Amino acid sequence: MSNIQIFLITGVIFVVLFFFNRLKKAILDILVLVILSLLAILFILMPDLTNRIAHIMGVGRGADLVFYLSILIFWFVIIKLYSKIRKLEETITELVRAEAIREGKKI
Amino acid sequence: MIDKPSIYIIIPAYNENETIQSVVHELKQNGYSNIVVVDDGSSNPIRDSLEGMEIYCLEHKANLGQGAALQTGLTFSLLQGADVFITFDADGQHDATDIKKLIEPVLNGSADIVFGSRFLGKAMDLTKGRSILLKMAKFINYLLTGLDMTDAHNGIRALNRKSVEFLHLRENRMAHASEILMEVKRHHLKWKEVPVTIMYTDYSRQKGQRSTEGIKILFDIFLHKLFK
Repeated sequence: MSNIQIFLITGVIFVVLFFFNRLKKAILDILVLVILSLLAILFILMPDLTNRIAHIMGVGRGADLVFYLSILIFWFVIIKLYSKIRKLEETITELVRAEAIREGKKI
Repeated sequence: MIDKPSIYIIIPAYNENETIQSVVHELKQNGYSNIVVVDDGSSNPIRDSLEGMEIYCLEHKANLGQGAALQTGLTFSLLQGADVFITFDADGQHDATDIKKLIEPVLNGSADIVFGSRFLGKAMDLTKGRSILLKMAKFINYLLTGLDMTDAHNGIRALNRKSVEFLHLRENRMAHASEILMEVKRHHLKWKEVPVTIMYTDYSRQKGQRSTEGIKILFDIFLHKLFK
């Protein structure tokens, strides 16, 4: 195994362990995390696999394909997260407003 | 025409403890008794500065933004049965004697919402930089909202119940001013501008919007449209 492979696999394992604790109850999230991690380890151990898939897609290198796909996925996740944050802000606003009006008085 | 209309002044306030007392005092001197101050999570509760002044004080337990504080004040006043709603700044930039001019078109039914404009009236000590920035904001606002106004970001307005009932501000921060314009267009509300005086003191200049705020507002509006 090359150095980069050892480094990356260690990184994946750390990420999994780190989030495993935080996502204790979120079964779906853990499932997604584990599947993606296994895929990542697979591609790390068999880089030629990514190259073959890349060639089918018309992309030069496997690493480039992984890169392109990652950007797409990040983009999607970021927009989804932002939308969630907006919803949260709306909820917080409703709660803060309701309390302000309820507790409002003449001073 | 409403017989003895109930007029509510809504003042969103965040860390304006120094100026809020004189602002409220000036309003009371001009005969307005229904004043609603919305403390948007100030570090020092504004309530302390206003104790005994016979005004309504609402408090946001967390800082949400001027737009959110305004909406809270509007909702509260609606529940109180207000007929006319005035939005007024807490930093002393606005002149209480202008309110009469703003209320008139609302009372005689010629407008649902009246905006104060510093460009229609005379402004004192308007710096060149701010003047250009505001003119740019005016043009961009026209592109975004379809309303051709001389002063797009002025905090002094008068609204009737119809306007307030239609208004559900979702922009918590500074983009609420543009959201109001968009809602006016969307609900085909009758609107007018009247000249008002804006007083730029050293205090308000230092507190006022920086150029970066303008860009942030644009960003907020863009996202608002995207996530409608």
